[in-house]
Amino acid sequence: MSNFSVGFRQHNGVQILDLHGELDAHTAPELEAALQKCLQNGQYNILINGRDLDYISSAGLGVFMAYVEEIREKGGDLKIAELKPGVYNVFDLLGFPLLFDILPSEAEALERFARGERPMLPSS
Amino acid sequence: MIRNVTIPSLQQTEMLLQQRRTRLFLLLPFFGTGYILSVVFHLLTWKSGTPPSTWVRLFYYDGLMLITYGALWLLLWGETHQRGTSPTRTFWGLTVASLLFLGLGYLVLRIGRPSGDLALSAPVTGFAYETGVPLTWAAVVQMNVLALLEALLAFWLLLQLRGLVLFKRTRQSERSWRWMLITMAGSALLVDLFQPDEFVLALLLSLPVGLMLRNAFRVAWILYLPFRQKLLNLGLTVLATGALSGTLAFTSGPAYEYVWHYSPALSSFVNLSLAFGILYLVTSFLSLLFHLPTTGAFQRKVDELAALHALMQMVSQVFDVERLTDTIVRLPVETGVAQTAWLALPDFQTTFRPRIVAAYNLPAGQTPEALVDVEALYQEVATRRQFLLLEQALTDHRVRARPEHGIGSLLVVPLVARNELLGVLFVTREVAYGFEQDEVEAITVFATQAALALDNARLLHERLEKERLARELAIARDVQRRLLPQQLPRLPGLQIVASSVPAQEVGGDYYDLLRLDDHRLAFIVADVAGKGTSAAFYMAELQGIFRALSPLNPDPVVFLTQANRALFETLARKAFISAVYGVFDVAKGTVTLARAGHPPPILLRPHAPPRLLRLQGLGLGLDRGELFRQTLEPCTLSLQAGDRLLLYTDGLIESRNDRGEAFGYDRLLQTLEAHAQDTAASLHRHLLETLAQFTGHPAYDDDLTLVIFQWQEVPMLQETRDHQDVQTQTAGASTSTTQPSQPSQQAP
Repeated sequence: MSNFSVGFRQHNGVQILDLHGELDAHTAPELEAALQKCLQNGQYNILINGRDLDYISSAGLGVFMAYVEEIREKGGDLKIAELKPGVYNVFDLLGFPLLFDILPSEAEALERFARGERPMLPSS
Repeated sequence: MIRNVTIPSLQQTEMLLQQRRTRLFLLLPFFGTGYILSVVFHLLTWKSGTPPSTWVRLFYYDGLMLITYGALWLLLWGETHQRGTSPTRTFWGLTVASLLFLGLGYLVLRIGRPSGDLALSAPVTGFAYETGVPLTWAAVVQMNVLALLEALLAFWLLLQLRGLVLFKRTRQSERSWRWMLITMAGSALLVDLFQPDEFVLALLLSLPVGLMLRNAFRVAWILYLPFRQKLLNLGLTVLATGALSGTLAFTSGPAYEYVWHYSPALSSFVNLSLAFGILYLVTSFLSLLFHLPTTGAFQRKVDELAALHALMQMVSQVFDVERLTDTIVRLPVETGVAQTAWLALPDFQTTFRPRIVAAYNLPAGQTPEALVDVEALYQEVATRRQFLLLEQALTDHRVRARPEHGIGSLLVVPLVARNELLGVLFVTREVAYGFEQDEVEAITVFATQAALALDNARLLHERLEKERLARELAIARDVQRRLLPQQLPRLPGLQIVASSVPAQEVGGDYYDLLRLDDHRLAFIVADVAGKGTSAAFYMAELQGIFRALSPLNPDPVVFLTQANRALFETLARKAFISAVYGVFDVAKGTVTLARAGHPPPILLRPHAPPRLLRLQGLGLGLDRGELFRQTLEPCTLSLQAGDRLLLYTDGLIESRNDRGEAFGYDRLLQTLEAHAQDTAASLHRHLLETLAQFTGHPAYDDDLTLVIFQWQEVPMLQETRDHQDVQTQTAGASTSTTQPSQPSQQAP
């Protein structure tokens, strides 16, 4: 029934998660489990690739919020790349581009990882 | 018909004879008359001195005997029939009866003789050698009395032993007992009729003797005697055997001639009966002797199994899963069938591996996992669906226990109910080869019972959990319903239509309107990420914030910043709220609003394309405060007559049709353009209708909230107040779960 899946890749010490399908309240636990696994393996540089992500609901967005703080505390970052316009719009509405590095291409995201850049957060 | 009435069936006769009065009435006359006639017969023979003709003897005398002693048998049968027999009483009774008989017999033999040897030959004792005619009156008396006494003893003996032979009776055993009696009586009669020689006699007696042997080995009652009883009965069988042997010696010795001349059939029957009595006593003695050593073990086993069965009933009465698992491991140990027991259930929630939920009587400081490879054994039993018995547990590679842990043999039994494996029970014994076949069976049966109980408890638990959840959701739904405005406030010049439909029982959408003073109205439309009970609580919190803060700080930036600060502290990390907040000022004809991560409001002016107000702003609860305040972008609009402001939640945009397409902004804006001139109420209705047509089903995927404001310029406040009473429409309940929408409307 689930039409959501997560693929794992590695590139230069960055853990890349490829999201496929629709991320909503029902499928959010799968992404949570994937992120949990990354943290357990000590990987804190995580790139979410949304090339094949067709839909995201607010519950899906909640997953990113739930983990980003811990990841940044550990010195890593959670970046998002290659979102489809419709999905990006949902991120954008809530102001996620202010909280996360959301980049058009994976290469740019990896570059930012390499340079160690993170979004400026006045509150943190 | 008539035959049915006149000849009662065997059962009817039996029933009839079971009533004592009927029995005595029917049988006593037969017996009494028959007996007196037989005495008269012998007296006549004695007086005449000649034997009766063969025909008289065969048809008159033997017929008379059959009826007389048949009646006597039935009389005694009726007296002993219903009494339960205890072997002790039977043996004791046999001994006493035999001794009594011997005493009486001795006295009878002395009649008419002053003293001397009792074992005199027939002519001397008083019968004619050739004809068997009694020679003295004493002989007549003696033969009649002795025959009666012998018959009484033999019948009584058979009826007493019957209770023991037919202990745990079956159709088979009943039949074999009956046949024994019939063949005994039959052969006795044949002996009487033909007076056969020894060879034929032996042949004739082989059948009853065979059946006697067969019945003599029916000694099942011995198994259930406790040790002391067995010992007591052992002594009593010796005693009774002695007494019966003495009696047999008496009946086939000194008394033989008398009874033989009275009736050869009776004499043979009596001797056969006594022989059977002795045979039975001897087999009883031997069986008792052989069973003595096993009594303790047998008794223990019976106790164990009885306890296990009794406690199984208890298992089925426990409904609490935790208590049930405890009981399941305790019972085999407490009944002594096992030394140690533990129970592994599959963990469906997290690990998907068997988990030990209860253990009993483990060796000190040990865990089941330390003793055996629980998972490997569990998997094997799970696939086999049958018990696994490790007779020499320590030699198995999956057993980690050392000899001092006292795990000699291990029995692993699956708990299967409704064809589903619910768990696995492990029981151990200290010694290798410790589990007997019947114990394995008992534990297997116990496991089935336990599985059923576990299944029941689980179903009950699930049902309770479901009910609890349903109650919780009902409460949350109720809370949510109360949080939405029950009645819309009124302000001159402003028309409001609002509806909110939760997709599930409890949704995450919230809207509210609050009249701040006579010319200002604060409004909020929000969407809590996630649904269910937690969403209802966050909504409640937001409502509190809105109702408390907006009168004090109606300015959107101030209000939303404060709301964000409050919510950031209390919301779960992954929870956030998107909202649009604003204030209408009817005196100035303006609206000031700001967007916190919410889908942009739409401004629809009469002669212009709809405009999405894409104001910058983070969702509530995402950021601690600084970034939120910096990015928040308020906007003030001067309103013109006919302006409509649309506020909605993402349910409107993201509702999808069967092909998976979302309604989207484009369709929304198209619909608005098509109805650009509509009033708020009509626009509201058209939008929802268009959406329903698009999705093709009345139910929405997500919560759907739609609030539309329409501004109608009013030149003077005074004037509107005069009109107010005329056109008032009160808002009804603004949410509904049964109807897709229920707009609330207020007109000035």
